[in-house]
Amino acid sequence: MKSWISFLLPSDEYKEKKMLYFFSEGAIVLLLSLFVTFICSRFMSLDVETVLFLHVGLFVVYVLGRYIVSGIEFTDIATVQEYKKELRVVRIKSIGFTVIFFLLYPLVSGVPADMSSWIGIFLFSALAGLMMFFINCTSLKRSYNRNKELM
Amino acid sequence: MKNHVKVTRMSLSITQEQLAKRVGATRQTIGLIEKGQYNPSLQLCIAIAKELNKTLDELFWEVESE
Repeated sequence: MKSWISFLLPSDEYKEKKMLYFFSEGAIVLLLSLFVTFICSRFMSLDVETVLFLHVGLFVVYVLGRYIVSGIEFTDIATVQEYKKELRVVRIKSIGFTVIFFLLYPLVSGVPADMSSWIGIFLFSALAGLMMFFINCTSLKRSYNRNKELM
Repeated sequence: MKNHVKVTRMSLSITQEQLAKRVGATRQTIGLIEKGQYNPSLQLCIAIAKELNKTLDELFWEVESE
């Protein structure tokens, strides 16, 4: 089936089907949320930028959350050895992400003038890295638990 | 959907991973098909049948016992 969304979808048909469900569910949740916001906007004043940001966040968090919890990311991890090996990869990737984030953040937001700003960026980078580690770990654990049942 | 994919695959000494690679799917998808937790497309059914040297009937047709 030809569609412009195909480039966002994996080649495996089961994963493709699941991802289509997640995107569709996310779109329906977003539509409902926009509808509720539209009604609320008649009774209170809402900041447009904040509302738009929250809705984008809602869609991203919903789709990403469903993807992580479904356990379809690590399709080949089914044994303890594979799980431990992949966990090491996740750890290294998260550290790499933290370092790159720390180096690139000042280029985007401007080089900090004092030490406290540097510490702030470091803490922010560490938090982003921790988030990435937590997300990947959850996805890996869910995938592993699912796959070992299917062996 | 009940099927004979697992029995046939094991009789040919092929792993889930090997079959998955040959038919362009993931190991997880093959596992789900074998457990009857996912109904594959006709295209994937044919690819699996070809790899296992069986017909679609032999792999996927459910015969009710009398």
